[in-house]
Amino acid sequence: MMELEGLTKFYGETCALRGVSLTIEDDEYLTLLGPSGSGKSTLLRLIAGLEQPDSGSIRLNGEDIASLPPHRRGLGIVQQNYALFPHMTVFENVAFGLRWREENPVTEEAEITKRVDAMLDLVGLSGFENRGVGQISGGQKQRVSLARTLVTEPRVCLLDEPLGALDANLRERMTLELRRIRDTLGVTFMHVTGNEHEALGMGDRMIVLDGGAAVMIAPPEQVFDRPQTVRVAQVLNAYNILQGRVHEGRFDHAGSMLPLPPNSEGAMHYAIRFDAATLVPPDDPTALIRATFITSEFTGGGVTYFLRGPDGVFEVERHLSRADPQVYKGGQELGISWAATDALAFDSDGELIVSSNMRGAA
Amino acid sequence: MNQPALRILLAVYIAIFIAFLYGPFLVMGIISFQQGPEGGPQFPIIEWSTFWYKHVLGLAPPTRVAPLPIGEALTRSLTLAFATMVVATVLGTLTAQAFRTQFKGSGFVFYLVVLGMMVPGVLLGLGMSLVANQLGVQRTWWGTAFVLHVVYTFPFAFLVMLAIFNRFDQRVEEAAWALGVTPMRTFRKVTFPIIFPGVLSAMLFAFTLSYDEFPRTLFTGGPDVTMPIAIYGTFSVEIHPNLFAFGVLTTLFSFTLLTIYGVLMTASIRRSQAKASGIQEDIE
Repeated sequence: MMELEGLTKFYGETCALRGVSLTIEDDEYLTLLGPSGSGKSTLLRLIAGLEQPDSGSIRLNGEDIASLPPHRRGLGIVQQNYALFPHMTVFENVAFGLRWREENPVTEEAEITKRVDAMLDLVGLSGFENRGVGQISGGQKQRVSLARTLVTEPRVCLLDEPLGALDANLRERMTLELRRIRDTLGVTFMHVTGNEHEALGMGDRMIVLDGGAAVMIAPPEQVFDRPQTVRVAQVLNAYNILQGRVHEGRFDHAGSMLPLPPNSEGAMHYAIRFDAATLVPPDDPTALIRATFITSEFTGGGVTYFLRGPDGVFEVERHLSRADPQVYKGGQELGISWAATDALAFDSDGELIVSSNMRGAA
Repeated sequence: MNQPALRILLAVYIAIFIAFLYGPFLVMGIISFQQGPEGGPQFPIIEWSTFWYKHVLGLAPPTRVAPLPIGEALTRSLTLAFATMVVATVLGTLTAQAFRTQFKGSGFVFYLVVLGMMVPGVLLGLGMSLVANQLGVQRTWWGTAFVLHVVYTFPFAFLVMLAIFNRFDQRVEEAAWALGVTPMRTFRKVTFPIIFPGVLSAMLFAFTLSYDEFPRTLFTGGPDVTMPIAIYGTFSVEIHPNLFAFGVLTTLFSFTLLTIYGVLMTASIRRSQAKASGIQEDIE
């Protein structure tokens, strides 16, 4: 178990992390989502010991490791660009840690071969032992990097945007692979990403980092359905966020009176998920706001429509399994409707207003 | 300007450039085959012969032309160049390594190091000989001159290594540390093999600069002279084609060094290419 307490890091005048506290359990898959500049890489580098925190502590199984150099921490880190040793073969890359580490190095060649082969087998790279790292593809490099770290049996494995450099197809396969490898070894993974799908899909728990602070720590379903703050909803990139204030029991957004969930008197922000909204003709009685169609984007399983609402762009997602795509013309007037129960309201501090009949995690 | 005219102009320019670049060497090469021992450094060649080569190597019968005092001087120069190369390269690499992290006063230290190659050699040599006199230190090629050779070549090695480290991806080292490997061993097993081609270049620089260093050695070398000083000593009296023969021989020697460097470099690059085509790829 690893406990972070009040981790703070400044770069000159800029605060990269402000008092991040967090408990990482044994044998869990933790994802860390944050927009770029939110301090997610900094957090990872602090944990790995590649940077020193200005204040705060890092305890691993009760032992304070914040002052230890990286090579004495027993943590693994898989870097964004893989950082493979360019002058070594795949086998030598993976064997490197076992062979040369300070503590408990493996001196028997047979033992090294056995463990490296087993690890290459686990990541699906058997037969690539003698390849140079320049002769393998991006996905394979990713696996070598992972194998190199995992073979040393780290107590926690930190992954810095491990899928960022892969193409979409490979990314999906590696998502499954990563989960399978983690389940096999039982190592705690802390996976940092800027991609909300990755964070939601892979983690047992999820941390949302914003402006150097952990703004929400919860299982992904909960993060997605009930973002604790309006910033979390923004980072998830799945919500239309509207500004306004409550007027006679409804939310007044630039003149449109929107239905509110119960008990949300002090609401200042109003969020509706892209896929909870539907497009209707402008004079439809269910239309809550009117908007002008800008363009649409076909995403394979669905279509995302972009509209200009009363105050900014409004996105509506339509899954094609439910309905055929509609074709609209640019500049066409449309209405947007949704169920009041799908709406989320946030107070003036940006905190979610939890109402009594809030739907449970879907 | 139209194309053909431009071409002719450029061709002439290149021809002049090449003439100036290789002319002296060509003249030296031709005159080195002058007839001996009567023939001097003049055109036309009286008769082609290899007499002066034999003379340099001590194979010719004794004549009124004194043999070049090169035996010991050459050994000294090579020893000095080798020692300078080792020390300057080690220092340069370590200093460049230090400059990878921003430390307080790094700008000042940078200029301090680079000063060694900026200050005119004559001044540095004179200054050093004065200091040696004041301190009562004997001026020797392996003492005072050696120190100045290092002062002079160290900045070159440092700048070469600085450029190499500039392109070096630090995350490779971080990866090694995170695997539990100490920074010391990481340097030996990861950093050094990757920067090795750069180290070779720094060595070549330091060696060649020290080997034909003149002004600093002149003032600080003491009574036992190095090669360039010995040569200078002979042609300040009278010039015979044996000097040119020797010039040709040293040039060939330098070429041999360059060839060895080239072979080592190609082997090193080929090795890393076999393993990692494009030494470090950036995948962002």
